[in-house]
Amino acid sequence: MLRAHQVSAAYGKTEVLKNVSVTFGAGRFTAIIGPNGCGKTSLLKAIMGFLPVSAGDVHLEGKPVKNMNRRQFARRIAYLPQESHCPEYITVGELIELAGYARYSMFGGAGEKDRELFRSALETVGLADMAGRKMNSLSGGQRQRAWIAMILAQDSDIVLMDEPVNHLDMKYQLGILGLVRDLSSRSAKTVVTVLHDLNLTTAFADDVVIMQDGEVLTSGPVAENITPENIARVFDLDVEVFERGNRLVCLPRLGDERRAQAC
Amino acid sequence: MLTRSLAVNGLVAVLFATGFVTNLAIGTTYIPFADVLSALLAFNPEDFNHYVVVYQRLPRALIAIYVGAMMAASGLVTQGMLRNPLAAPSTIGINAGATLFVVTGAFLFDLGLAAQGVAALAGAATGFVSCLAVARLAGGGKDPRGLSFILAGGLVSMLYVALSNAVLLSDPARRSDFLGWITGNINHVYADRLYQVWGLGAASFLVLLILARPLTLIMFGEEKAASIGVNVVWTRRLAFAAVLAAAGSAVAICGPVGFVGLVVPHIVRPLVGARFSAALPASAFLGALVCLLADLIARQAFPPYVLHTGIIMDLVGGLIFVLIVKRYYLAPNARPAK
Repeated sequence: MLRAHQVSAAYGKTEVLKNVSVTFGAGRFTAIIGPNGCGKTSLLKAIMGFLPVSAGDVHLEGKPVKNMNRRQFARRIAYLPQESHCPEYITVGELIELAGYARYSMFGGAGEKDRELFRSALETVGLADMAGRKMNSLSGGQRQRAWIAMILAQDSDIVLMDEPVNHLDMKYQLGILGLVRDLSSRSAKTVVTVLHDLNLTTAFADDVVIMQDGEVLTSGPVAENITPENIARVFDLDVEVFERGNRLVCLPRLGDERRAQAC
Repeated sequence: MLTRSLAVNGLVAVLFATGFVTNLAIGTTYIPFADVLSALLAFNPEDFNHYVVVYQRLPRALIAIYVGAMMAASGLVTQGMLRNPLAAPSTIGINAGATLFVVTGAFLFDLGLAAQGVAALAGAATGFVSCLAVARLAGGGKDPRGLSFILAGGLVSMLYVALSNAVLLSDPARRSDFLGWITGNINHVYADRLYQVWGLGAASFLVLLILARPLTLIMFGEEKAASIGVNVVWTRRLAFAAVLAAAGSAVAICGPVGFVGLVVPHIVRPLVGARFSAALPASAFLGALVCLLADLIARQAFPPYVLHTGIIMDLVGGLIFVLIVKRYYLAPNARPAK
């Protein structure tokens, strides 16, 4: 179980996290939502140790993560940043092989078990026949799936993702979030994902953490927390929330619709 | 990819070995390959050809190999770690710093040969740190394409070369001794330095090979590397220490040789891929081969005059530098370095 306990952090003098306490349920898919600049990315970075926290700490199974070294940490938590950069001349297969770094000895490399994992990671994302392709020759959607395969190949039980479907068209958004949901539902991984789209959130996530101005406004199961009141408060948006075929749909009312309603 | 990178590494190694023997065979007098091999494997002090190979040509060739391998490996690692296609010992102040310290040490403090070697290492570190400082002053952190770093390196190099020249000019009697060295020259006079420092270079190369995997991961960015389990700070420190030792010791032997470190990595990566485990050995072999050939050209192009190897390589290197800038910075679809 991953838990942030009263975490505060700042970039210079700008406070980006204020006393944030949140628990990410084991084996659940949690989406972090909130307006731009509310601290979603900062929260992930604070958990990863990339953003030094000024107060509070992050616990994994009740133990503070700051006592873990990077290798131990990498075997528990994998991280997909908002934008990934691949150096030139790296192939998909090489990318996947590098993901196992924390398990290799100094002079050793991937064993038979690792290779089996790599094969299944590429199969899961549908890139099984692309191992020899250069990363920079792939399309945006394929590349993002390769990064997700790298996360799978790291074989951690917790996965943090920062907007994994940005810049992708709807087909890939659904495909990739479907993959991510399978990580939690089939492979029992704990998945924490920063998302922007409320409808993707309600379609895929189990839990939601709603943030505003560096604070957690509310967190818990999607159905109880994605409400017109919460959305209005955080996003300053007038949204209709209704159920359609077992899932919640958020439909923002546009300016003239609002006026028509008022008349 | 793995088999391909092995094959390319093997091919470059064979080319290197051929270049090595050719370098030893060709000179004022041609010595047959068979004699060269027997001179290396079963040296007979009574045989004149053996004597020429082992005492005159071999030291030069070994220096060429050392300098080429060290500079190419250093260039490859700095380009990867700084994520900048123009980074190399010659462009980030390392060569210029080492030059200044060697010249100053020899002229103003009368340092002996061994102490000059130490001065070169200290100078390499000073040059690199000055470059970092200038880049930071210029707001290097906000420059996504890393050009400020290379400009800072250019600035630092100009300053240090100017200072070196000033020191050289101060002593007309001795400056001719250093005139050849400062243009980057492969000369068997400096073989003693090679015998002093080669262990350091070999150790540095070994350290880089051991760090191959974490270094490869750092090319993906610090946070990505750390999230996969790399201790970024210590990997960087060790790798830079190895680069400074490798490049600094190479400068101590034959002055600031520029071209190899910058260009060889750009030839190697498309062939073997970007992983350091494959690119490091290939770079070392190819760098050594390039220097052996440049040395051969310098000796044979205008007999009886012997050109300076460094000048040959700077001529070619300048041209290729322009091509790299064009590809990474001026092409319409130029990719940012980061």
